[in-house]
Order: sequence, then structure tokens, then C-alpha cells
Amino acid sequence: MNADLRVLISSSLLQMKQSFSRSMFKFCMVVYPLLYGFTLYMLYKDHDREQIISYVMLGSAVSSLWGTISFSSAGDINRERFMGALEIIFNAPSRFMIIMLGKVIGNTILGTASMIISIVFIVVSFGVPFTLADPFLFAIIFIIGILSFTAIAMLLSGLLTISRSTAVLMNCLDYPILILCGVAFPISVLPQWTIPFSYILSPTHFLILGRMCVKGISDYNLFSYHLLWLIGLTFLYTLLFLHFYKVIDIKARQHATLGVI
Amino acid sequence: MEKVIVVSDLYRNYASTTGIIRKQKKNVEALKGITFDVGKGEIFGLLGPNGAGKTTTIKILTTLLAPSRGKASVLGFSSFGDEKHLRPEINFIFGGERSLYWRLSAYDNLRYFSDLYKIDIQTQRERIPALLELVGISEKQHHKVETYSKGMKQRLQIARGLINDPQVLFLDEPTIGLDPTGAIVLRDIIKNLAKKGKTILLTTHYMQEADDLCDRIGIISKGEMVALDTPENLKLKYNSNTLEDVYLELMGDNYEC
Repeated sequence: MNADLRVLISSSLLQMKQSFSRSMFKFCMVVYPLLYGFTLYMLYKDHDREQIISYVMLGSAVSSLWGTISFSSAGDINRERFMGALEIIFNAPSRFMIIMLGKVIGNTILGTASMIISIVFIVVSFGVPFTLADPFLFAIIFIIGILSFTAIAMLLSGLLTISRSTAVLMNCLDYPILILCGVAFPISVLPQWTIPFSYILSPTHFLILGRMCVKGISDYNLFSYHLLWLIGLTFLYTLLFLHFYKVIDIKARQHATLGVI
Repeated sequence: MEKVIVVSDLYRNYASTTGIIRKQKKNVEALKGITFDVGKGEIFGLLGPNGAGKTTTIKILTTLLAPSRGKASVLGFSSFGDEKHLRPEINFIFGGERSLYWRLSAYDNLRYFSDLYKIDIQTQRERIPALLELVGISEKQHHKVETYSKGMKQRLQIARGLINDPQVLFLDEPTIGLDPTGAIVLRDIIKNLAKKGKTILLTTHYMQEADDLCDRIGIISKGEMVALDTPENLKLKYNSNTLEDVYLELMGDNYEC
């Protein structure tokens, strides 16, 4: 097996083992989606099935995915730093970016499981079937969405390697990002000045496209417009994280951000 | 003797801040132009009080930190610029219980680090059990590291540091917290590695250990090299019976760092 692929797989497996042995992670992965799903269902229980699927199921699914992929991946850098493992993996001959990508993929697998848990919980508990008007397009959107979340997680982990203070920013941005992306409501209800911020976040477009697939696509121009945004942002995040991982090797050593001071 | 580690006029500054509300930037000079070299198969000890710059020197040599100025090379490769060639040939062990994945077993830890060092599966199958045997953790190799004693964690760190069969090994206070038996075992490992031609640079606060192990010793204080010679020559030069007396004589009023 190719050495890079082996590093990718073993980092991913290590990440899953490590994460799943943490009680807090189990809570975030299993209990949090149930609580969030329950809260959203109570808010939307008098709405029609489409609304419940669009806002309760997709909302809690994206929130779970965001929590496990982006938030955990970013937090993992700090955990590795405090464990003293960040210096060890950084110093290894394998490319740091491949190691981190493996860890993010591990979190993505767990995040997807968390997403499924939240949907199954609502289907089973409240008897609402998860039906899609356009399952094929939803599957495509889902794959692009996962890639986009992975790119965000890589971007955040790169920023955290260079700067310790990103962790504070990350904690502050958790909920605002869920609000800006319209996880539990359409972004049209937000003040006009927040819309540009919503648009530069790919989960916003992922949710809009997902909701279109639930309802059935009536306006293909609008669908293509958001699809282009989603693909474009994913591409942009990827370019940014590739750039960050290029400069990390220099910056992290110049600014001594790998260890705990 | 072939020079494996070359440090020349090495400087390293850290930017730090003081105060909570009115933050003030401060520049700390951790290294102020130290120079030394280490030959192949030599055990070289870096001594000095806390904050003297020992760990900073090791971190620069192991490619974890960039020097602010000066030269640091290992096996002919610059530690800042040639890391791609250098990293497979070196490894380091920092004292204490960190630098391991506590929720995994010793075996899983070594397996993972072997993958990161691109060691093929066949070599892993032979090397991992041998290293676990060497550090005496074979029986508990599949237990989670968090259940290990401090000494066992530290011994596992030693196994991790040897996973790539490094040409040059850096040890930062490797015996700190180890019981006497564990420390003796580690010293024997270090001596055997040197006999096999491996080059070792270590830091320690235990003068007896430095005297017992090191071919040459460099003593640094406040980022400057204040003495550099064999333990015997240092004792002769300062007319002392022990290395501890030499150290205390040199540190004198310089203790506060």
C-alpha cells in the first residue's frame, strides 16, 4: 500500500478510536443531535412534513455534522498540542497535511454517523418519514457538502496550528455560524446586512440546496446558482487550506506554536 | 571524528506579552549565539538551569523551531530548510508522560508512529515487539496507556523515539521521574546505542547521570555556552571532584534565568 494512503488510513482510524473514547465526544455525537432534534421538532411540530424534514431533520443533521467535523477537528489540534503529540506528528517524515486530512476524515465518518442518528431519531420518535422529491440530486449535494465541510475543517486545523488564539475565535463562532447558515430557519428572516456573511459559508448553500431537494426543484436556475456557490466556496476553502499547509511548516516553527509555552 | 551535529552562533528569540489589560510585547532571547558540535557515536550532554535554552536548542536541531539567526545542522542537513531529508534520520524523546496517545494501547501507539515514519509492515512486525521487550512493556502492550504508571509511559516514549532506528537521538531530560531501575535501564540503552554508532544529544539535571553517560558536556546559562569539555577536563579545570561542583561553580550568581 502507498505510504501516504497508509498514513491517511491509520490517522483516520486513530482519530476515531481517540474521539470515541472521549465521553464528551460521545455526548456531542450521540446525545447532542437527539436534544437538538427534539428542540427543533417541538418548534416545528405544527408545520407540514416538508418543513419538518427541511428544518428539523436537515437542521439537526447539519448542526451535528458541523459540530463533529469542523468544531472537533479544530479542537483536536489543541488537544494534540496539550498532549505533546502535535510536535511528534509534525516532526514525522509524513506530510503534516496528510496526517491532518486523515484525522479530519475520521471525524467526517463519525460526523456522518451523528447526522444519520439525528435523522433516524426524528423518524422513529415522531413518525415522520424522511422523504425526498429529488433523492439523486440530494445524494450529489450531500457528497459535495461533505467535501466542503472537510475543507472547512482542514482550513480551521491549519489556522489553529499557526495561531493558538484561533481556538478562542472558534469557540466564539460556533453558534453564530449555525445562525448565519440558517440551520433552524431560512436566512431570509435574518437582517439584510448578515446575508453576505451567510453567503460566504458553504453550509448555507448546502442547506438551501438540500431543502430544494426535499420539496422538489421548481427553479433550476436558482438551484444551479446555489450549486455554483457551494462548489465555488468548497474550491476556495480547498485552495486556502492548501496554501495554509504550505506556509505552516515555516510559520509554526518561526512563531513556536507547536508546543505549549 | 565526523561531525554529525554542528551548531554555530545560534540565536533564538521569542516574542511574548505581559499584562492582561494593557498588554506589552516583550522579546525574550532564549539563545544568544551558542556554538558546539557533536561527533558520530558521541554522547553529548547539554546542562544548565531551567530556561537556559537547552530545550530550545534541541527543538531547533529536531526541526521543531526555526532559528532566529545562526546555523544548526544535523548529518549535514540544515534543520531549517532540509527537514525533508533530516526528519527520517532523527528522533527525540522529551521527558515526562506526554507525547503519547493515552487512550490507545502501547502497541497501537507504536504502530501509528511507525506508519508516520513510513516503516514497512514487515519491519514493523519485527521492530515493535523488540522495542516493547527492550523497554519492558511487552506484557501490557495491549492495555491503554492511561492505565500505565509514569515510568511505563516514559519507557514507552523511549520505544517511540527508537521506532525509526534513528542515526541521531535527542533526549530532553529522559530520566526525569523514572525510578532508579528504569533510569539504569535507560542509561544502558543510551550506552548501547552509542556503541552502535548512534549519536546522542541529551539534557539532564542529574549531574551524576551526565558524568556517567556523556563523552563531552556543554553547560549553558541564559542562552550562552559557559563551558564545553569532557567531564574529566571540566573537573580538572575547576579543581572539583564532581561535575555537580563544577556546575555550581559555573552557575554561581547566574542561577536566576
